[in-house]
Amino acid sequence: MKNRKRMTVAVSLTLIVLFAFTFQAQAGETYKLGLSLAITGPTSDAGDPYSKGVEDYFNYVNDMKLLGDDKIDCTIRDDQYKTDVTKRNFEDFLDMGIVFYLNYSTGSTMALKKDFDEEKMPTIPASFHAGNLEGSTYIFLPIATYSAQAIGLAEYIVKNHKGDTPKVAMYIHPSAFGRGPVSDVEKAVAAGLKMEIVEVVEHGTDLDNTAMLQRLKSKGVQYIISQTIQSPVATMLKDASRLGLIAKTFGEKGKITFLGCHYTGGNDLVALAGPAAENFFWTTSYIVTSEPGPGTDFQLSLAKKYGRDEKTANSHNYINGAMVAQVASECILRAKKKGLKITKESLYEELLAMNGANEFKTVTTVGPVTYSKTDKQGVDTLQLYAVKNGEFKSVGKPFIPEYTGKIK
Amino acid sequence: MSYFFQLVVSGIVVGSIYALAALGFVLIYKSSKVLNIAHGQIIAAGAFIAYALTGMAGIPIYLSFFLSMVITFFLAMSVERIFLRRLIGEPIISVIMVTIGLMSILDGLIFLTPFGSVNFSFPRFLPRTLISFGGVSISWTQLVGVIVTAVMIGGFSWFFKKSTVGISMRAVSDDQFASMSVGISVPRVFGLAWATAGLSAAAAGVIIGNITGLNFETLQAFGITVFPVVILGGLDSILGAVVAGIIMGIIQQFASGYLDGNWGLNGTAEVLPYIILLIILLFKPHGLFGIHEIERV
Repeated sequence: MKNRKRMTVAVSLTLIVLFAFTFQAQAGETYKLGLSLAITGPTSDAGDPYSKGVEDYFNYVNDMKLLGDDKIDCTIRDDQYKTDVTKRNFEDFLDMGIVFYLNYSTGSTMALKKDFDEEKMPTIPASFHAGNLEGSTYIFLPIATYSAQAIGLAEYIVKNHKGDTPKVAMYIHPSAFGRGPVSDVEKAVAAGLKMEIVEVVEHGTDLDNTAMLQRLKSKGVQYIISQTIQSPVATMLKDASRLGLIAKTFGEKGKITFLGCHYTGGNDLVALAGPAAENFFWTTSYIVTSEPGPGTDFQLSLAKKYGRDEKTANSHNYINGAMVAQVASECILRAKKKGLKITKESLYEELLAMNGANEFKTVTTVGPVTYSKTDKQGVDTLQLYAVKNGEFKSVGKPFIPEYTGKIK
Repeated sequence: MSYFFQLVVSGIVVGSIYALAALGFVLIYKSSKVLNIAHGQIIAAGAFIAYALTGMAGIPIYLSFFLSMVITFFLAMSVERIFLRRLIGEPIISVIMVTIGLMSILDGLIFLTPFGSVNFSFPRFLPRTLISFGGVSISWTQLVGVIVTAVMIGGFSWFFKKSTVGISMRAVSDDQFASMSVGISVPRVFGLAWATAGLSAAAAGVIIGNITGLNFETLQAFGITVFPVVILGGLDSILGAVVAGIIMGIIQQFASGYLDGNWGLNGTAEVLPYIILLIILLFKPHGLFGIHEIERV
């Protein structure tokens, strides 16, 4: 009787274990990813919506079963824009067994470049600094570099300026993030782009830009290209508006036309600068919600599905994060279709194969994502926008800057 | 010549706002010899309270401005009551370390609200037209900033010189034990010092927020930006904060207007105030108007 009881318990336990394993097999695999970024601290106005975009898109993949029974488990951690915290987060992610890593700032991407290579970890940062790619094998930028953006703006100035050689100033963040594109724009000028860089201004925490603006005006500067974040640009625009310096039409004589790269623009700039943001020219590879289309419909429905507020839903940094998550999910999907085991190595190979017929068309960007061994810049295409009645509206068609190829 | 005068006027405007932001440091130091490292966070809190009242609750901006000062007055008083009251009589360095911790706590609390990572802008309530005279122009926002600064600094100067409470605050600053022996309530004075600092911080926050827009990082950074002003003026002098603020403002504008972009120089407006500060401190280690104490043994 006792043996029979023991037998029943043993059989039951075996059945439970077998059932558990069968259930687990049916439930599919879980792929671990990591994202470290500034949800609080400096630049968190960009980092917060970015993290929500990543989170929502991976939830969407899981909820809509885009990977079948397999799931993505992306751990998102706040690093407060501190490189040492980013490094610690990355090391924790490695212990968790991640197969793909999403990073954020220029500083931490540059600092951890060697770690990514040593770990052979495919990495997409939110920084579009061209220097991220120098001496790196495993870093892939989601869109055109800051250099390409600044050169694209410079080319637009040269093409649309009436009169002598246009005089341009660059207004930059006092960091690698801000300084990055300066030398590349200078190279483009040396390579034949007909404009004069009169001055490069590194800003501080300025309450009044009168002196700087009037100095540039006295030197004949007609265009200012900004590579920084929204807040200093907003203060500069307000001062320029007060001094009556903002050009009402592109290149208006005696006035200054203000232009900026990805992180200078978007709805936050309009929120900070108010009416002074009018006629600000801005370039990015993302489609913005003030230009409705299938991509922005998807963006807004994704934000609505996961209960995001209107501000987040309309943020270009929300879709910036979602797009990076899209690329990572697409790599997993493609590797799965080929019957490959999902590892950092197989996902790296999928990124490298993302070109030609295998390019990845997203509806949220103005061009396809293409990567190869020699091209680590995802979306090469840019779109120029200008603020009209408090909204960013397209100016012309998407373009690829010519001089980025000429200065390589 | 109008360029020169424009730089002078811009320098005075910026300097006045620096002085207002620096006033909070001075008010606390003047009565307790404590340097409040979390002052930038209180400036930001004041600005966000005003925005919440006007942008979210729909209260008119002028009333919101006043209410934000009242709320920040009590907020700063509560901070002193909760975190710093127990440290009366403890070494000053311990209190300063607590204010560093306080900075982290306030940072964290603000990041729990939408204000930590979302940008906002005050609704426009002043005319967009310029005030121009002799080729020099300033905006209404800047003019209001200068007027508010002048009123507050004048008010606090009177308060410390003429009112009984103000004199008792100066007495506590001089000697806590002697003050207690003549019946002054030191805890009450400390609470009041923090509260008045909160009041001035809210005013500074609203004015800076009107100029730069409401971005937490930008607002709280002014706690550090005005530090050279506080040191140069002499930590315990209201007049010193004003003079040093205007000196710093004018130096920055002149550096930006005449040095930057010439002779390969760039960013001098950020560096020059610190160089001038170091030079002045070599000759006047207690700042321009700071009290030089002599201890006889």
